[in-house]
Amino acid sequence: MNNHFLLMVIFSALVSLVFAFITKYGAWERFRYFLYLFACFVFLSIVVGFLMYPFPF
Amino acid sequence: MDTESIQHEAEAAPAELETLPVEVVTPHKEAGMLITLAACVTGALVPGLGHALLRKWDRAFVFLGTISAMFALGLALNGRLFNPDFSDLFSTLKFIADAGSGLLYWLSWLRGLGTGDPAIYTYDFGNVFIYTAGLLNMLVIVDAFDIAMGRKP
Repeated sequence: MNNHFLLMVIFSALVSLVFAFITKYGAWERFRYFLYLFACFVFLSIVVGFLMYPFPF
Repeated sequence: MDTESIQHEAEAAPAELETLPVEVVTPHKEAGMLITLAACVTGALVPGLGHALLRKWDRAFVFLGTISAMFALGLALNGRLFNPDFSDLFSTLKFIADAGSGLLYWLSWLRGLGTGDPAIYTYDFGNVFIYTAGLLNMLVIVDAFDIAMGRKP
């Protein structure tokens, strides 16, 4: 389990699921919100990863 | 805003309500103080148990499954369970985030799990999963409180 991307995807899916169930009602609304959050998590993580690339941490 | 536009909005409101899910439109009543307290305490001990007490079964199962999975995954990734240490701010915050998982944290801690090893590649990932499980459970407790108070369906 040394794959950064896989761990990030699992993390995003689990957190999105909890947020979708906390904030939305009805299966379809929850499903849509889950997908939206999940996509945001994954996409923005990759973008931020690239933005951080030049920094010498 | 003039009177005509206010009247127009008042007339439009029922039509908008029809598009909302049934759970939102249906009026929900406040649970008693004892039920509210019990939902918060049991939710703090076991993720999702507060919702089960309020008969919100779908949320209860999802929260129990998700938060337990995150916690277990954190331990499997060699994350560390931080001890109750209040010597500095960061140790305190780490402990609070970890302990948010309730009995998952305390039972694992008492069994000596989650010693963590910073030299292992997934140590930081494990820590993040354990922190997040605890913090999500805190949100879940607030959600149970809102439901019990009749603020949410």
